[in-house]
Amino acid sequence: MEPATRNISPFLDPGPGTKANSLAILQLSRDNLQPVYLQPATGKHDGYAEGAVVNTRYGSFPHSTMLNVPWGSQIRASKVDTGSRGRKRKREGVDDACRDATGATEKDNEDSAALANDDSATAVKQAVADTSGFIHVLPPTPELWTTSLPHRTQVVYTPDYSYILHRIRARPGSTLIEAGAGSGSFTHASVRAVYNGYPAEGQRKGKVFSFEFHEQRYHKMKEELSDHGLDRLVQLSHRDVYNGGFLVDGKSPEADAVFLDLPAPWEALHHLSRRKPQTLPANSNGAATANQQTEWVSPLNPKKSTHLCTFSPCIEQVTRTVSAMRRLGWVDIDVVEIANRKLHTSRERVGLNLNFDRGVNNSPRDVEEALTRLAEIETRFREHAAKPGDGDEGMDLSDEDATPAAKNKAAGNGSQAPSTEDTSSGTAPWMEGRLITRGEPEIKTHTSYLVFAVLPMEWTEEDEAAAAAKYPIGKEQQVIGAIDKAVRKKERREQLQKQLQQSGNRKSRRKERDAKMAEASG
Amino acid sequence: MHSVIRPNAWVALKLPSGSTKVLQIIPNTTISLGKYGAFPSNLVIGRPYHLTFELEDKLPDENFSRIRVVTTNELYAEVFADEAAPGCDTPAAGANDAVISATDGEEFRLVDDKGNVIARSNHEVIDDNARQTLTQDEIEELKREGNNAGKDVIAKLLLSHTALDQKTSFSLAKYKLLKTKKYIRRFQVLPIDVATFAHWQLEERDSSKIMDMRAEMIGLVGCWGNVHFGGDEVLLPDPNASTDQGDEACLPVDESLLRGRWLVVDDTCGLLVAAMAERMGVLYEAEEVEGETEEQNGTATERTPASTENPNETQPNAPAPPEPTAQQGGDTEMLDVLTKAEKRQSDGKPKQQKPRPSDFAIPYSQTNSITVIHGASQPNLSLLNYWGFDITSPNHPPHPLLNHLLNLTWLQLLKPELDTSYSTPPLTASPETLASWKPSRRGNFHRKRRRYARIRHIVDSTRAGNFSGLVCASTMDPISILRHALPLLAGGAPVAIYAPTVESLAAVSDCFSVPRRTAWVSGSVPEIEGLSNEELERWQGNEQFPLNPTLLQGVSIQTSRARRWQVLPGRTHPLMTERGGADGYVLTAWRAKPAEGKVAAKGKFKRRKVESEAGTPA
Repeated sequence: MEPATRNISPFLDPGPGTKANSLAILQLSRDNLQPVYLQPATGKHDGYAEGAVVNTRYGSFPHSTMLNVPWGSQIRASKVDTGSRGRKRKREGVDDACRDATGATEKDNEDSAALANDDSATAVKQAVADTSGFIHVLPPTPELWTTSLPHRTQVVYTPDYSYILHRIRARPGSTLIEAGAGSGSFTHASVRAVYNGYPAEGQRKGKVFSFEFHEQRYHKMKEELSDHGLDRLVQLSHRDVYNGGFLVDGKSPEADAVFLDLPAPWEALHHLSRRKPQTLPANSNGAATANQQTEWVSPLNPKKSTHLCTFSPCIEQVTRTVSAMRRLGWVDIDVVEIANRKLHTSRERVGLNLNFDRGVNNSPRDVEEALTRLAEIETRFREHAAKPGDGDEGMDLSDEDATPAAKNKAAGNGSQAPSTEDTSSGTAPWMEGRLITRGEPEIKTHTSYLVFAVLPMEWTEEDEAAAAAKYPIGKEQQVIGAIDKAVRKKERREQLQKQLQQSGNRKSRRKERDAKMAEASG
Repeated sequence: MHSVIRPNAWVALKLPSGSTKVLQIIPNTTISLGKYGAFPSNLVIGRPYHLTFELEDKLPDENFSRIRVVTTNELYAEVFADEAAPGCDTPAAGANDAVISATDGEEFRLVDDKGNVIARSNHEVIDDNARQTLTQDEIEELKREGNNAGKDVIAKLLLSHTALDQKTSFSLAKYKLLKTKKYIRRFQVLPIDVATFAHWQLEERDSSKIMDMRAEMIGLVGCWGNVHFGGDEVLLPDPNASTDQGDEACLPVDESLLRGRWLVVDDTCGLLVAAMAERMGVLYEAEEVEGETEEQNGTATERTPASTENPNETQPNAPAPPEPTAQQGGDTEMLDVLTKAEKRQSDGKPKQQKPRPSDFAIPYSQTNSITVIHGASQPNLSLLNYWGFDITSPNHPPHPLLNHLLNLTWLQLLKPELDTSYSTPPLTASPETLASWKPSRRGNFHRKRRRYARIRHIVDSTRAGNFSGLVCASTMDPISILRHALPLLAGGAPVAIYAPTVESLAAVSDCFSVPRRTAWVSGSVPEIEGLSNEELERWQGNEQFPLNPTLLQGVSIQTSRARRWQVLPGRTHPLMTERGGADGYVLTAWRAKPAEGKVAAKGKFKRRKVESEAGTPA
């Protein structure tokens, strides 16, 4: 059991903590995630005495401090000498592209790092904790990977892929075709959905058949999948599916579900048929005879309905896709678009007695507070006016003059208020004000249109005849469906009763009942 | 699963009116579709899902309708005609594209009529009261006589409409659609999976029962909860405890075996559990099945119409009837979950006659399991009935959920010593005494011992923690759930909480706000001085800090909404109306393991005045 678990992808079973040479996601701040392949410290790495180091604006984090810790651990920043290293390397004229130790660049620079390790076989410096700065190290999941992955194409984000996988019934044990692997976010999510164990020799388990047209992306993806321990669950092919179709080594993947993220899904759709589609000129309706070539193999599972989803940003693509689907026999065609919104919670603090924090609105909280304040100003003004020497001029004039003064005074008062009122209010700042939610500053209003469709199993006259023979009609005894609930409930109760009796009974009584039933049905 | 319609399967019948009927396809019955007609259930059994069937006219010597499969060319005939019509700005996708031809070309008669009749203008105002010259009686008469699956009625209705030529193409299409929905006698059979079922429950049944959980939300909760297959089944060995052994013979919980377990709080009557079970591969019975065996079993069921819902018969690999094992044990009255589950296992293995497991054998898998914590003494998972699982049944036929679904009450989790069934030590009796008892008393004795062992195991393994995730859709305050559930989660485990409205989630999110977190770590909370990390994990909360704000990372709230579109040639637009009500929100986060001691954030912050003040009392 142990060796098996060791090979399981960290995406599917991350284990209790971080491991060397495995992927981890560093959470720098709320939405700032960075994937890293943690390396054991074997010596100087890239000029760092501590081995490989991740440098962030929250401090420097040697990999050694993040290895073999439980997932989710908060990691303190370490005191790492970044300055002298940079200077030294510059003097040596070595390219220091590795400053940002992202997962991708880390891999690229492995060779040069190995060289660096060789010439300085000194002991690894123990990391020293810094006084401030921390990050969290999280286990990789498709969601975290989607937000942190190196972009190559437009990414299918979680709101879309979660809905798609739900709708196309991708379940443990399913086989899924994905065309247009792109950056691999959907690939990772779909592997998780269909995974039901790694296949042993000749065993059929949940699997993803992925196709990518772009060669560079294909190689990058291939590398990523093997780094993530997913290469046995994803079969990646470099192919143009419009012309090449979806067969793998001439064999059918027997797909239960299909996801097409292609610019022209309608050009790939005809490969996803049950039998060889006839190419017909316009407006000639199905007169052509079935001219099936024997070598044509359907990539779909012949024993199930196939669920399909296409992902297209433009409505023109959708209309063409839907039109092609209708002609190829797809049913239940449904077009949706997903609008996802993230909400931020904060506390809305309004009031005259609050301190001048950022985000605090120092205006009256309600009419009462405004009234109190106004009355206060009025009183003060009157006191001021009543003072001898001030009341010489006309009332009107002084009114106009005094107002701004009063205002200033009031403002001054306001600023003093917190210090005096603080003790009386006594609430902590994180409890003050009203809890509110608001949308994020920028929302994605459109990602793509999702077109869903289902292709039922092939059903021939022979199949129908066989089924009709297996399930002959004419012995109907009761009516179900449009009967009312009370009757149905009663029936069910009787059924359960019967079942209970049955299971607890001795053979003889069972036989007796069987005989009775045979009589009834006969 | 779900290849062909099996006898006694629960299915959803989609009717032309857009409504869905969920029922069990019992062999040798008549399925009534109300006004659309009735047909024998045997006509759909053994046929594939998702086909569209049409009720044919009754033959003169038969008292039921036969059904036929409608080809997609017929289904889309009107659309194809529209696309072919001149002036259509969204013509067929590549006119010389590949086409699957219909096997037979029964034309939908309206198409021929339509191209000529319609007038494409909207100058004339059409009276609100449709000028239908057919009376209701005449329509009824038409329906009664053979009418070609309702198509004749629709055609006659259209032709008898006096203002038809005044309708624009848009209003004509609408009118036709309206009449088609009403009269066409077609239906489609869909499998009951979580997506179909949830949609039906939400749109047509009681949406409050499932807390208005939309498909988008089920998807989001499942993904953010990282719910997936959690490893092959691992069962603990049977301790072979004899009847005179008590507590000491119970198996201890082996924490190293526990993996791939999810913690659930479900107030959606089991929909959430079903959705998770589907993602973990334990909702549907395995159908390893190739052709012949299954069909033989099908015919077997057919002969015994009374024994519905007995998956034994649809399970080709379970040839052993329940009797032998039961008789071996000697007490036939008390066959229960244990033996059933044990038997199920034995199905896979060559030796069929496995000896009956001892009372303290644990039937639950140590991996890939769902642990439901419930507030009432019994969990409400009634919707699982649609997948053939009844949690209340003491005598359950084999089902994958049996050894992958664990449930316990909050009392058993938090104060197990107060729970009678957990804290009462198991009965013991020597074999001689046992033999002298009546079978019913003996049965009770074994049942109690087994219940004790099971509850002991569930409670102890749950309290051992290290869950891979927490998924929650509950009417209870999420803060209180998190207070007790967070310590049970493994580091880095995801948390996904669904709520129909945002307020309760906002309150949770506020517990982890930056000012709270800062105040907590900067040592301005006197109560937590000197507490170890373990004690802080189990922080019972106070008014200012309901939860330990360092236990979750990346707390965020989101909502998703699918907008549906109508795609027809020249008439593509979003649907005009959709379901309103609760939007549904999901809170997501990861369980963090805070470092020991004070940890300061990087950067030069001006320490806020109030913070220092809040700190002064310390």
